[in-house]
Amino acid sequence: MLNYRDLDWRVIGAALLLSLIGILLIMSAQHYAESEYHQGFYLRQSLWLLFALIVFAAVVHLPLRLFDVSAYIFLGITVGLLVLVLLVGSSRMGATRWFSFGSINLAPADMAKLALVLALSRFFAYTKLPPASKRRLAFTAILTLIPVALILKQPDLGTSLVFWIILFALWFWSGLSPLYMILILSPLASLVAASHWLAWALYFAVLLTFLFLSRPGLSFSVLVVVANLAFGVITPYIWNRLADYQKLRILTFLDPGRDPRGAGYQIIQSKIAIGSGGFWGKGLLSGSQTQLDFLPERHTDFIFSVLGEEFGLWGALVMIILFGIIFYRAVRIAARCRSRFASHVTIGAAAVLLFQFFVNVGMTLGFMPVTGLALPFLSYGGTSLVLTWALIGLIVSADYRWQEY
Amino acid sequence: MVRPTSSIENRKTASLLILLVPVLLILSWLVKLQIVNHAELAEQSENNRIRVQPLVASRGVVYDRERRIIIDNRPSFTLSIVPAEAKRDTTIPNLAALIGLDTADVQKRLRKNMVSRYQPAPIMRDVPFEMVAVIEEQAARFPGVSIQMEEVRRYTPGLGSECFTGHVGEVSQEERRRNGGNDYRLGSIIGKKGIEKHHDGLLRGREGTAYIEVTASGQSRGPYEGKAPAPAVAGADLVLTIDNDLQHECVASLDEFCCGAIVAMDPRNGEVLAMTSYPGFDANIFSTVIPESLWQVISQDTTHPLLNRPITGLYPPGSTSKLLTLGAALEEGLIGPSTFLTPCLGGYQFGNRYFRCWRPGGHGSVSAAGAVEVSCDVYFYQVGLKVGVDLLSEYFDKCGFGRATGIGLPGEEKGLNPNSAYYDKRYGKKKWSRGLVLNLAIGQGELLVTPLQLAQFFCGLANNGVVCGPHLIKSIEFPDGDQVSPSNQIVWKLPFSPRTLEILLEGLRLVVEGRNGTARHLKNNLYSLGGKTGTAQNPHGDDHSWFVGIAPLERPEIVVCAIVENAGHGSEVAAPTVKRIIDAYMAKKRAAGAVADLGRAEDE
Repeated sequence: MLNYRDLDWRVIGAALLLSLIGILLIMSAQHYAESEYHQGFYLRQSLWLLFALIVFAAVVHLPLRLFDVSAYIFLGITVGLLVLVLLVGSSRMGATRWFSFGSINLAPADMAKLALVLALSRFFAYTKLPPASKRRLAFTAILTLIPVALILKQPDLGTSLVFWIILFALWFWSGLSPLYMILILSPLASLVAASHWLAWALYFAVLLTFLFLSRPGLSFSVLVVVANLAFGVITPYIWNRLADYQKLRILTFLDPGRDPRGAGYQIIQSKIAIGSGGFWGKGLLSGSQTQLDFLPERHTDFIFSVLGEEFGLWGALVMIILFGIIFYRAVRIAARCRSRFASHVTIGAAAVLLFQFFVNVGMTLGFMPVTGLALPFLSYGGTSLVLTWALIGLIVSADYRWQEY
Repeated sequence: MVRPTSSIENRKTASLLILLVPVLLILSWLVKLQIVNHAELAEQSENNRIRVQPLVASRGVVYDRERRIIIDNRPSFTLSIVPAEAKRDTTIPNLAALIGLDTADVQKRLRKNMVSRYQPAPIMRDVPFEMVAVIEEQAARFPGVSIQMEEVRRYTPGLGSECFTGHVGEVSQEERRRNGGNDYRLGSIIGKKGIEKHHDGLLRGREGTAYIEVTASGQSRGPYEGKAPAPAVAGADLVLTIDNDLQHECVASLDEFCCGAIVAMDPRNGEVLAMTSYPGFDANIFSTVIPESLWQVISQDTTHPLLNRPITGLYPPGSTSKLLTLGAALEEGLIGPSTFLTPCLGGYQFGNRYFRCWRPGGHGSVSAAGAVEVSCDVYFYQVGLKVGVDLLSEYFDKCGFGRATGIGLPGEEKGLNPNSAYYDKRYGKKKWSRGLVLNLAIGQGELLVTPLQLAQFFCGLANNGVVCGPHLIKSIEFPDGDQVSPSNQIVWKLPFSPRTLEILLEGLRLVVEGRNGTARHLKNNLYSLGGKTGTAQNPHGDDHSWFVGIAPLERPEIVVCAIVENAGHGSEVAAPTVKRIIDAYMAKKRAAGAVADLGRAEDE
């Protein structure tokens, strides 16, 4: 039996509060909905929370070694599910992301996030290769690319980015020098700079100077330059290959006013909702943007706009502080863990939560593109909530067993 | 496995710093939206949720002088469908069957007029009350069908009053621009002609505003509580100087002719008692959407029902203006009341042209008043020559011709009062003969007047030379109970001395009461009548028949001016028409007097 007093109740309490706030906001968001089905969303979310707490308890109770040894098998199973969902999954709005069981939809992509965190952590925990070795970088990148490719096929650009964030966070935590991180990511900068030939030339001058001064090794330098050239050249090609909805999202992100009734409409209405909330908010059930249907997707992707409108800046601050407690504790736990696997898992889990938190809130505030990434704990959605609590379970478990190797 | 502590400590510090970046970014954007831009975004949020709905003001009612209705409003019902509430298999088929349209037609109208799923889309305007009753009673058969009531202008039929009431219509882009666009919405009703236009500001009242809370899809959620509605203020009612009884009489008396116009005025104060243009049209057709076919019929009718004859019809005054010619000569001392001119032998030789008198046998020698009595052309030819073109024109000007009377109706014509400058311009200097004055002296030639101008002139003669400008508004009654009478009455004097006026009035008396008077058949025992006949030559067809009557002569109360187009001599057509109207006026007055006497007798 566990000694419950030694569990990290700060993390559990913050997670629980966030989940309850989420249920309250979902209730408010659909309070005046036309159908009883919509009005009942908060009850369904409550049931999901119960299930998520059971999963959490199970994760905390099980020994961490179990996750360690089964990490690759788990990744294999989720990859299988990702393939399966493309074949038999149900489609909505042009995307095939879910297994449908009656009214319950399961998204295997959520499970894949957890699986990748575990698999990469296992690799980094036992590899003897030096952090900057090409084989180490290449193997982990390929491991990440498998689920990413399947998720891009769905298609779901936003979720696929989460997997790259897991990889980068674990690269960093496993000791890869920031210099290498910058160089590895540099082709993305090349992609952006290539929009104008002068900007691209300037960028290349800076890149070559940087390579000359830091001397990361000849073969690596050549690889970086080639990758940068390649990304600059294929920009127009990639742009043409993007689906219309992806182009529209990027264009709308760059200029929300260009399509005020379409994709930009969501961002404009969300900004109006949050801004009109002011410091104190309009009060529960009193947000006109929320209650009068102006906010789209308000119980899922735009749940933060409901918080911003009805509870204002102080409500948002409470939420940020609760998230902050979880992130801060995760870094402290990861640094203390004796087990390299547990340490990496904690960082990977925190990276998933932080990235989704940042991109989702940034989207509702209008400084990030509309990606469809859920806000952990708060957005309506069963699999997302269960995954989030599983990640919290891993963090709490890592803390509880920090002395184990 | 032992790792260097410093490395993990560094990464921990770095991680915590990295963590700060997204948190600070989010915080700064939150502060930007919720504190810095709060006011602006809060306003946008309010604008989102509140639909401003105009509350239409009831348009003012127009009464005659005895508070009988000339224009009022009737309810009109518009059938609409609220798409969100309609049922596919019942609403449209049942409604189509009721209003007698195809299902497809109804669907077409619905698609055309649909704004959002929650806003009523008009299907049929001005539906009869019986249909409304059916829908109200059997509401279950018509889910999603709603009925909007609006007020439609109603003009009392048979009054022949279109020439002064005008009509209303939907405001045009041009009219909205001219008014700054603030007072008139798209689809607002505005006066297009007549009193409706001239007094639109009074009649229309002030629109109110209701604030309705709506959802993103436009569904109403009831009144918005944060802002009190501004109620509409009804328009002011107008009481006109018109007498509906006389209006009916005017229409009836012109009924047997093709076209004409009548103006009846009270010379003592300038009140217009009746005014009609015949044939008229039904102003009600403009209140709702006018069918194209009906518009074609009206606008292409050769009798020009849309022409407003009393104030825009331009005619030569004919012999009716001989009084003015005579007055000018008397006033200037060019002739005396008993000056005898060359006797009339049926015509007058001027230069190489022979100007005929209307009576081939001639009138012999006549005095000034006698010349009016028999309307001797030869006498007036000679008077005209003495006065001359410019002096005559000056007198026409001083008697109100060639300029609008200011009756308070839009589009009034000024007429044409030619002088030598005009002829110089038209024919060139010295290219025209002095003989033109002979025509002007008997009211022919280029001279053009409106029936209203002529009535106004005779009012001046009847009122000791004081002209009270014609007007239609007796009082304005505001919805708050205030009652005002227009104070901008125009009063001016004819350029005639009392002595001259006396001679002119004597002439008017002789026309009816004289042995040789051109309208001696109008003489009667009930009241004394004066007047002047006129026959205006019309280059396009038969002569127009004029008559202007004044009664009772000893203390004039009514002046009636009538023109009947293409009807021949004034004495034969227009004169009996005028008499009929004055008869009606006098009969009514006698009846009222009898009632009053009866009342007095009972009091004693």
